[in-house]
Amino acid sequence: MIEIKGLAKKFVVENVKKLSDQEKQDPRLKGRFFHSVEDVNFNCDKGQVLGLLGPNGAGKTTTLRMLSTAIKPTAGSVSINGVDILAEPLIARRKIGFLSGSTGLYGRLTGRENIEYFGRLHGVSESDLKYRIDELANLLDMQSFLDRRSESFSTGMKQKTSIARAVIHQPEVVILDEPTTGLDIMATQTVLDFIRRLKAQGTPVIFSTHHLDEVDELCDKVTVIDKGRTCFDGSLQDFKALSAGSMHESFLTTIKGAA
Amino acid sequence: MWLVFKKELLELLRDRKTLFFMIALPLLLFPLIFGAFGFFASKAVKDAETKVLKYAIVGSEYAPGLSASLAEASDKFERVEVAADADFKQLIRDETIDFALKVPSNYDQPVLEGGQATLVLVLNDAGLNMVQSRIKELIDSQIEDKRRQAFDALALSDLQQAGLLKPVVIEKEDVADSRENWGEKIGGFLPYILFLLCLQGAMYPATDMGAGEKERGTLETLLISPTERYKLVLGKFLTIAFAGVTCALMTILSMAVWGVVLSQGMAIKVVGEFMSAISVLDFILMFLMLAPIAAIFAALLLSLSIYARSFKEAQSYMGSLIMVAILPIVMAMMPGVDLKGGWAWVPITNVALAIKELIKGTMDYVSLFAIFGSTVLIAGALIAFCVYWFNQEKVLFR
Repeated sequence: MIEIKGLAKKFVVENVKKLSDQEKQDPRLKGRFFHSVEDVNFNCDKGQVLGLLGPNGAGKTTTLRMLSTAIKPTAGSVSINGVDILAEPLIARRKIGFLSGSTGLYGRLTGRENIEYFGRLHGVSESDLKYRIDELANLLDMQSFLDRRSESFSTGMKQKTSIARAVIHQPEVVILDEPTTGLDIMATQTVLDFIRRLKAQGTPVIFSTHHLDEVDELCDKVTVIDKGRTCFDGSLQDFKALSAGSMHESFLTTIKGAA
Repeated sequence: MWLVFKKELLELLRDRKTLFFMIALPLLLFPLIFGAFGFFASKAVKDAETKVLKYAIVGSEYAPGLSASLAEASDKFERVEVAADADFKQLIRDETIDFALKVPSNYDQPVLEGGQATLVLVLNDAGLNMVQSRIKELIDSQIEDKRRQAFDALALSDLQQAGLLKPVVIEKEDVADSRENWGEKIGGFLPYILFLLCLQGAMYPATDMGAGEKERGTLETLLISPTERYKLVLGKFLTIAFAGVTCALMTILSMAVWGVVLSQGMAIKVVGEFMSAISVLDFILMFLMLAPIAAIFAALLLSLSIYARSFKEAQSYMGSLIMVAILPIVMAMMPGVDLKGGWAWVPITNVALAIKELIKGTMDYVSLFAIFGSTVLIAGALIAFCVYWFNQEKVLFR
């Protein structure tokens, strides 16, 4: 169970003049600070999959980065199974599996070595490590390329390796930032199947996406963020019920409602 | 921390490009450069020594002995007949002749009668040539004859003869032994190469581990692993410092080995004597002095690297760092700069000076502690800054 309340993050803008006109008109720019995320609330229970939606620049990635403890929020709280991640980031990190949208691999290491490195950093024992990598490789269909240097990997292979790396320590919550962006249909399907499996295991999954069909297929809950604020937070049924037509219309309704 | 170190080292070793620059280049290229230089230089000297020189002589009738010995050595000199009033400058420029001799009329007269004889040697003295020394070889015996003739005429004893030739002789008694002498020469240069190589060797891995990691997008994942930030920093820092020291030592070692191999014979003895004069303790101390320097460089490089947004940006920052780092090192090479006075307090310069003193064998070991201590302190502060730097969001997510 992960609970996010009143999350906010502001960045110092070094030179306001350098910003584009569009950025200057953004209501989140206040003086020298850009309030990237102002008020985000949602929660995700055991065995639920939460889809995080929102236009580009809405603050999705910043929100997820705060959840992953990579950056510290200015205000608000995040707790995972009762542990406050801001007060105890080191403990919280063991509970979180995070896949960043812009992640990469160490090109000169093999896929296996990449996963092993992060497994060891997370304190996974050597015997567990071997067993788990084997298991993940079968699940994500990685056996054919696992022991090759990752610099020659295709986008799909890289993403599978990154996902394996993110969950090698068996986290209590899995956070994925646009996990299917740029993947072909087969690789996307593998990733979606993997999320489904996590759900079956009872691990809450939060993932951001621009593909509403993925949301429809997988999610129990939907959260829409626009301009740094939560403008919808509810079940998939509620989200669909917002408009009579497609989910796209529902999405546009939530954004309009906020504006 | 060791986990990070091990992984970074593994990654470094997998990188052919780095390996090439770190190991192959110093091992092969330096001796190659020095070898080629030595080969061409010695070849040029040999050529100048053995080349048959074409000459013209004016007034050979005044010096039958000289012209006979010139003509005799036909494998070394070749006579070209020219008019007495010829333009020698033009002839030399046209390469018709290599040099010309103008013999004065008093050349063959006894010294006591004719006085000093001035033999004019016309030549182009720019560039490497051995004309003068080769002419001198021929004339030396004649000078000796002239002297003997004069001394006999004056009926001087051996003692008087020696006194007349050199009324006063200065005999130098150098209190500096050969080690100190050589140390002064090599000692300034060694830290210079050592430090720069250290910086050079550390630069690539530093770029790779900071900016490179940012560029590849692996940094974020690394930062959210449940490892304390300082452990990550120290792991990276150690790898960089290790790479720098390895690079510097490899190069010095290869230079020493190749130097011994290339300069056979006599030079080996000199080098051997010089090396054996420096005690093992001094070598260890030199290495110990290098360690905090490598630490300073590594911490600086890592801070710059993690601040940079990309590989390219990091490289341009480091280019400027080299300029900054080179200054205190060059300072130590300047004459008159030694550990007395203010220079002992200039970081990096003082270590360079201390290494020089160690090589010379004139080190004051007490001040060594002060220098070592202060350098370690600076290195520690820089590492602390590095850790602080790694905790700044504005640095990591620029």
